[in-house]
Amino acid sequence: VPNLQAEVLVIGGGATGTGVAWDAALRGFDVLLVERADLAEGTSGRFHGLLHSGGRYVVKDPVAAKECVAENAILRRVIPDCIEDTGGLFVTTPDDDPAYGDRFLEACRACELPAEEIDVAEALRSEPRLNPGIRRAFTVPDASIDGWKTVWALARGASAHGARVLPYHRVIGLHRDGDAVAGARLRNELTGEELDVEAGFTLNATGAWAAQLARMGGIEDVDVVPGKGIMIAMNHRLVNTVINRCTMPADGDILVPIRTVSVIGTTDIRAADPDEIPVTQAEVDQMLDDGERLVPGFREARALRVWAGVRPLFQDARVGEVKETRDVSRSHAVVDHRERDGVEGLLTMSGGKLTTLRLMAQDIVDAMCAQLGTDRPCRTREIRPLGDEESQPYRLGSRLSRREATLQEEQIVCECELIGRRRLEEAMRRRGTANLDDIRRSLRLGMGPCQGGFCIYRATGILHGIGDLDGAQAAASLRGFLEERWKGVWPILYGDQLRQARLDDWIFQGLLDVEHLPDEQGQPA
Amino acid sequence: VSHHDVVVIGTGLAGLSAAVRLAEGGARVLVLAKGVGATHLSAGTIDVLGYAPERVEHPGEALARLGDGHPYGLVGAAAVAASVEWFKALVADGSLGPYAYHGGLDENLLLSTALGVPRPSAVVPETMRGGDLRRDAPLLVVGFRGLKDFHPALLAEMLRRTGRTARAVELDLVPEDRADVNSLGYARAFDDPSFRAEVTAQLLGRLRVDERVGFPAVLGIADPHGAWSDLERRLARPVFEVPTLPPSVPGMRLFAILRDALRRAGGRLILNAVVTGAEREEARVSAVRVRVGLREERRGCDWVVLASGGFASGGLELDSRWTARETALGLPVAGVPAPGEERFAPGYLDDHPIARAGVAVGSDLRPEGHENVLVAGATLAGAEPWREKSGDGISLATGHRAAELVLAGARSLAAAG
Repeated sequence: VPNLQAEVLVIGGGATGTGVAWDAALRGFDVLLVERADLAEGTSGRFHGLLHSGGRYVVKDPVAAKECVAENAILRRVIPDCIEDTGGLFVTTPDDDPAYGDRFLEACRACELPAEEIDVAEALRSEPRLNPGIRRAFTVPDASIDGWKTVWALARGASAHGARVLPYHRVIGLHRDGDAVAGARLRNELTGEELDVEAGFTLNATGAWAAQLARMGGIEDVDVVPGKGIMIAMNHRLVNTVINRCTMPADGDILVPIRTVSVIGTTDIRAADPDEIPVTQAEVDQMLDDGERLVPGFREARALRVWAGVRPLFQDARVGEVKETRDVSRSHAVVDHRERDGVEGLLTMSGGKLTTLRLMAQDIVDAMCAQLGTDRPCRTREIRPLGDEESQPYRLGSRLSRREATLQEEQIVCECELIGRRRLEEAMRRRGTANLDDIRRSLRLGMGPCQGGFCIYRATGILHGIGDLDGAQAAASLRGFLEERWKGVWPILYGDQLRQARLDDWIFQGLLDVEHLPDEQGQPA
Repeated sequence: VSHHDVVVIGTGLAGLSAAVRLAEGGARVLVLAKGVGATHLSAGTIDVLGYAPERVEHPGEALARLGDGHPYGLVGAAAVAASVEWFKALVADGSLGPYAYHGGLDENLLLSTALGVPRPSAVVPETMRGGDLRRDAPLLVVGFRGLKDFHPALLAEMLRRTGRTARAVELDLVPEDRADVNSLGYARAFDDPSFRAEVTAQLLGRLRVDERVGFPAVLGIADPHGAWSDLERRLARPVFEVPTLPPSVPGMRLFAILRDALRRAGGRLILNAVVTGAEREEARVSAVRVRVGLREERRGCDWVVLASGGFASGGLELDSRWTARETALGLPVAGVPAPGEERFAPGYLDDHPIARAGVAVGSDLRPEGHENVLVAGATLAGAEPWREKSGDGISLATGHRAAELVLAGARSLAAAG
């Protein structure tokens, strides 16, 4: 079995793990990050895209709210290209108690969150699709943040500082050396090859999977409960400002404009297994009704895709006992396995959310430094992972303005998301992947209204043409994409999106006949 | 209010087949359609029945075994055969003649898709016949780097995987020096003999003995017979077309042939005309309401043939509360699972409960309680056109049959009167 060595092994390639890798690499550690699938394929690629102002938490959880206030400002500075400054509104719908608004404003002041009440008429002027029955409106500095871009920015920054990032490497066992965790056994999920990592320290950044991972190291009852939330992407920016219901947090009370879509979220249902999070039609119906409350006519708008993500909800009584001197936020906690379980060389990050990813990384790397007896200050507040390369805030239309100059000079492979052939070929080479779903997450290929109806055949042909993707892989990749896509569309197939899906069936089943593609043995299916 | 013998709603294969046959039979026909129909999406072949659910070799025999729940079961094998013969004669005599269709219900050809999957087709344009994969001859598939909707190397490799001898060549010829040209752009280029000469010059040294040559289905739009036969002559071997992603050039040819035949027979076609409802006198529709641009009109009629398509074409709609409606006349939609029931299965290629939804009719193609409305094509319940590879055949057969029924009904009314 081949060997890899690293000072710090980070397990998990979401916002937490890449944030940790970036932080640790900046402090000069030799870092190896491993992820069982593609980067941001878990929770970080499956949230609503809200960069919290903190408004959602001011009343219920002021500690978390204060963290959001601070981190929101820092992320705008260090990863501007991943963030669109949409601003946010908290609105009192006809179903909400107007008095809550006073508590909300007061709590905002206490958390130093700059919120301001505006006239309902003004709110409706700036967001004309909003429910005209709203009774109060407050502005907050919410924004939208692209989870995929964020994770790649952090991963690229970490790599530039010497970190190695290995997607599609699943941890299948943790190595123990007496009382210490000393590394892990990995399996390359693309080749099946196994390899060992010797690591001085291991950081468990697997989010909702943290308990599963800890168990591999012989540590039981790390109580991270997967909390399922569903989200629906609507085909248009029904609003251009993040809209929150001004009430205690509930289901379906956030609508986030991000890129060319708007996303409504979310639910919170306990899931037994973070890998089993099916979306039900009842949940979709509930979410559509919630959308209707914010934006009347929501049900007539076109839904593009639905997905579920799993929050890592932490519920460990023992952490409170061993860490009572530290100001542990309810939002996230570092599980110290030395104190808690007598196991050295392993820390687990539990809880948390994307908005506070930087702080989470700082806390766990600080805790590691303390255990290692080294003093290396955190530098992620100031330094941009991509340097000056992507230093402008994202704005809607930037892709079109970039493309416009050469629109007539290049083949467009995906018309919905304006992806040119060169960009696609570069991404394929850079990522070295045969997986169309990976390309989708990198470029947003197939994420537009037609959900890959036209571009996926083209991308398959181009991928086959430039690379060493053989026919069997091309067939598998195409079918895999269609199956994966189907999971996200069938619960919302009605109206125009059903019509679109039938057109896609026409193409894939009628014109191309993917159903009868030869299987791996070359036999017609 | 203008009055017509028959108003046909929809301008796909079903609507146009019905309209042409009606006009030929002497009826005053008006076709109302929101836009051009599904011909522009289709492969341009008449696929009658390709899977049931195993691959079908003899479509005539196989469709005769389908029950009353299927549109073929309603019209019967003889009517399907009659429609095919009528169609072939119409095309051969049509505005793009001698461009013609070949084949019949006895056996399916196997034509490659753009993905290299053999697809069973019963009646195909002459320009596609040479690609029949039941024959053993090796294939050279030619593509163009400028045409993103057709990937010859992928196609050829998939064919090799099922034991065929196939290879690919990609040419760098781009019409008008544009970077992004669709199939219609290439088809216009192929109408030009100098472009064909260029293609030939680049290919001649690269051909192997016995190889037949496949192109994307872009070999001419104004004179496809001329372009295709010219290439066969220049390359001295069989040449065939493979359908691309939409827009479909063979489908556009088909639309043009049927539209021209309709005009020649005295029928009228109005596009951008959305039928929004009907006026009824008891069980009869006396007029349809139609929105043409911003204008609302009424068109009186003795008969209505509804061929507005299924969910893909907007003929049927489903709302977020799972209520389905037929959009032109408000006919009831059968086969839709009730609220709360399973709508779709979780696997893309599973059997989906809603797949066969549509307007239910009797063997006279009339929905219950509607004396002068006949339904044809993808609006009908009971079929799963893409998976069965039956959509074109159903549209042609039911459209043609609806016309025959109307003509017969009109004759018997005349006799009675």
